[in-house]
Amino acid sequence: MNLNKTKKIRQQFADSMLEIGQQDKKLVVLVGDISHGILKPYAKKCPTRYYNIGICEPSIVNLAAGISKSGLNPVVHTIAPFITERAYEQIKLDFGYQKLGVNMISVGGSFDYSKLGCSHHCYTDVSLFLHFKNSSIVIPGSNEEFKILFKKIYKQKNIKYFRIPEYSHNIAFDKKEIVFGKAIKVTNGKNLTIVTTGTQLKNAVKVGKMLENKGYTTEILYYHTLKPFDQTQVKKSVLKTKKLLSIEELSSHGGLFGECIKSIIGIKGIQTEQMAVSDFIHGYGSYEDLCDRAGLNVDNIYKKSLKLINKKNKN
Amino acid sequence: MTLNKDLRIKIVEMISRAGEGHIPSSFSILDIIHFIYKEFLKYKPKNTKWKNRDYFILSKGHGCASLYIVLNKFGILKNSDILKYSSKSGILGGHPDSTNVPGAEASTGSLGHGFPTAVGLALGLKIQKKKNKIIVLLGDGECHEGTIWESANVANNLNLGNICAIIDWNGSAVQLMPKDKLLKKWQAFGWKTYIADGHSNKSLRKTFKKINFKLHGKPTVILAKTTKGKGVSFLEGHGGWHHKLPNEEEKLAIINELK
Repeated sequence: MNLNKTKKIRQQFADSMLEIGQQDKKLVVLVGDISHGILKPYAKKCPTRYYNIGICEPSIVNLAAGISKSGLNPVVHTIAPFITERAYEQIKLDFGYQKLGVNMISVGGSFDYSKLGCSHHCYTDVSLFLHFKNSSIVIPGSNEEFKILFKKIYKQKNIKYFRIPEYSHNIAFDKKEIVFGKAIKVTNGKNLTIVTTGTQLKNAVKVGKMLENKGYTTEILYYHTLKPFDQTQVKKSVLKTKKLLSIEELSSHGGLFGECIKSIIGIKGIQTEQMAVSDFIHGYGSYEDLCDRAGLNVDNIYKKSLKLINKKNKN
Repeated sequence: MTLNKDLRIKIVEMISRAGEGHIPSSFSILDIIHFIYKEFLKYKPKNTKWKNRDYFILSKGHGCASLYIVLNKFGILKNSDILKYSSKSGILGGHPDSTNVPGAEASTGSLGHGFPTAVGLALGLKIQKKKNKIIVLLGDGECHEGTIWESANVANNLNLGNICAIIDWNGSAVQLMPKDKLLKKWQAFGWKTYIADGHSNKSLRKTFKKINFKLHGKPTVILAKTTKGKGVSFLEGHGGWHHKLPNEEEKLAIINELK
């Protein structure tokens, strides 16, 4: 593992648009009045394929559907709650029902805009996209992940949702390990399986080390791709550990935990624990402050892990 | 006045047979759609995905009975499709499904979706410098939806001269919200506006001749004066017939009036 703290993933998004946009004349980028500064190089190189549409998220999604119908490949980018929850009927009817292709790229998922309050928070987006048979969901937790995974799937004629976290997990994987639809096994272990996604990987790794000091080994599985979900990895791991803890900054209904449970249906004697967002996170502060409020901090994860490890096995 | 009485009868028969449909809304827009397919739109009936075709999007999807009957008349839909309307073995239903229906360019039904999609299509074609024209038909009641004005603003600012919107101006909006300056609204949003008689080929022809559909220019809107339920006295207006099905006696009365 190497640390990589060089640039924001959002910047990588802009860099990828510049790189791909110059090669692929079908790429069209629509933004809802955000990221226009970092997208200037793209806008300069591809002026007829960059539009700051303004503040009208449902219509931006509709416009993207029309652009898709014309044979081009649209990218829609703005803040997570507005592009997903607000524009959900557009997503449903245009891209789910009509089976059109789109790349939706959000920032500000969960409580990344921690000082702006609940109006700018979004926990349900992943759950909402999971409903579509023709969707792919990626939470790229590093620049490399965005770069590799976007390039891999952006041309597919389906719904691709990329949820860009404000903060990277700062763990660099070998490029060969970053494969669309495949979870990454971060550590090997036999006492507990921790499954996580996005920035929370950082906490999971810290907790893994703390548990190691106590004599327990943890198998950490990292999911940059939530759909298609790599069922094999989690299944294989819990068959060994019999204990599953999922950590996600997503709604407690229909997210990472739900996908894990679906993966292990039929396996007896598994004990599980979910750490997720179960209600609005009121209040303001730093990202870490809101993680604390949601119970998604190292201390809490460590306590839950120990409790789960020490629970008597069912068989 | 160019009332397509024969097509109106077919609409009533199709809807009565299936037990589903919006007759007055369909009668309101039938003559417009018929005119567009007969005299304006470039298309190939046997190749509805032809790349040089013009696009027609019916944003007020509940009037789709008119679209189906016109598509049938011009060889895009088969008689058997019409006969199976709203049945489990058919492809046609109470709102059009673009994934199944040849000639339906967008799946509409929830109001306020088809129009912004048409604006996006106009933008996509403009980016590619393609000369296909886009016609989108929407209701005046549908103009209550916020997405109409969001995307009207976009079309004006991006100079999408390749799109023409037609408003089925039958008074659905003002019967709910009387303070409605529809013409002024479209003018304020920077669209080139025309008023036409939506039941007259002559009036529509005259208006369409004025539109140049340049890739770069003002978008155009035609406010087409129409009557909901046009052609049958007791269906006309905004009464209880919006989604009502005629019984056998009423069906015969409708057909008799149209004969």
